[in-house]
Amino acid sequence: MFKRLIVRSESKRIGPNPGNITVSQLIGDASLPVTLKALNSLPENPKLRLYRTLIPIQVLAEFDINPRTWKNPDKQTQVRVEADSGSDRVKISAWYGDDPQNEFFYLELADNPYNGIDLNFLLANNPISQRFYTDIDAEEKETLFGTVRRNLVEEEKAMRAGLAPGQIREGLRSSQTVFTHIETFLNMLSHHAVFLEPLTYVSAHIFERRGFAYSKGHQLMDTINKEFQPGGALHQALNGSTPFRQPRQWRTVRGRAWAIQDGILEVIGKKWDDLKMIKQVGRHAGVNTFPNAEF
Amino acid sequence: MSQRFQMTRAAELESLEVFRDFISDCCAKHNIESDVVFELKLAVDEACTNIIQHGYKGMDPGSIILSFRIEPGRILVQITDFGHAFEPASAPRPNVDAPAEERELGGLGLYLIYQTMDNIDYQSSEDGNTLTFTKFLK
Repeated sequence: MFKRLIVRSESKRIGPNPGNITVSQLIGDASLPVTLKALNSLPENPKLRLYRTLIPIQVLAEFDINPRTWKNPDKQTQVRVEADSGSDRVKISAWYGDDPQNEFFYLELADNPYNGIDLNFLLANNPISQRFYTDIDAEEKETLFGTVRRNLVEEEKAMRAGLAPGQIREGLRSSQTVFTHIETFLNMLSHHAVFLEPLTYVSAHIFERRGFAYSKGHQLMDTINKEFQPGGALHQALNGSTPFRQPRQWRTVRGRAWAIQDGILEVIGKKWDDLKMIKQVGRHAGVNTFPNAEF
Repeated sequence: MSQRFQMTRAAELESLEVFRDFISDCCAKHNIESDVVFELKLAVDEACTNIIQHGYKGMDPGSIILSFRIEPGRILVQITDFGHAFEPASAPRPNVDAPAEERELGGLGLYLIYQTMDNIDYQSSEDGNTLTFTKFLK
């Protein structure tokens, strides 16, 4: 029946023991993936040398932070890496000024159960732009980026200032540089892909432009685009009933995102959850679910 | 020297026509013979239908990435998806000799791909499933 069939499955391939890592593993087969847990078992200095590649030097230079020492001109440390031995994740944050809470860059990567790497969180904010308190509600409870609670007053201010849902400040517009660094880092570890769940419609749009495809939710994104067109159910639901559902919002990525944040997908019986995206190292998928989009 | 083209669409039946047109357009740029174009479109159609109906079964469908590469003497078509892995070797062999009324519905897709393509490679890993088939040019 088959003229010639080759079937290969890489899923049985096993990387170095995630519990620890040795020089022999590092000098072994360079095509085998190394987990973050294994990397975290390295001594502090080589570990920092490797993780340093994740922070774009251009981003640090914007704030006069030395990319080698991670200190500002006043010799104050401005970058922190959390990658404890035994942990399966790395968290990197950089802040501006004296307050480590005033982060302008935060990145969290973690091993996933499928021998891959998840991008759990990426934040790149301009720390000297206006801050909007969309992350806490009127009772000062965390909103988790508006996913569990909402601060409608602050969200409206943020929207009018041109921010996207989930943002507390304007972005650094550095996602292309950041993803180049992440991809280079993954390649160094011999990983083939990075996985993530887009928090908002804006995030999904940006990740599409950075070469991600969908392992779940591509059809939903097509449906959203279709229903926001004139005549569609979402277009009709932009009826001015809330500040986040104004008629012209269908035209822009941000406008759609705010309407989605406001729960407009209920109109078509959908929710913004369970979307999953994947970026294969070295490959741009070319997904574009909102052609000719205006941001 | 090779040339490569790529497109990505959601794994839904509406995308099949877009994929067929993509193959036609790629082949037209290189004056590929019509019988080869027909076989490539048939193979892409069957493979993508399989992904849509089985690969993404039970989940909000993700993407299908279709790439077309033309090299001297051959065409390589690669189809990548992120759904459930599929083992082509375990697919039941259809009884093509049986009378039409006695044959089971479906199951001819892979058979057709294997009959028309010259080389088939299926690779499955955590970061996606990739079916690559090659058609030699005379």
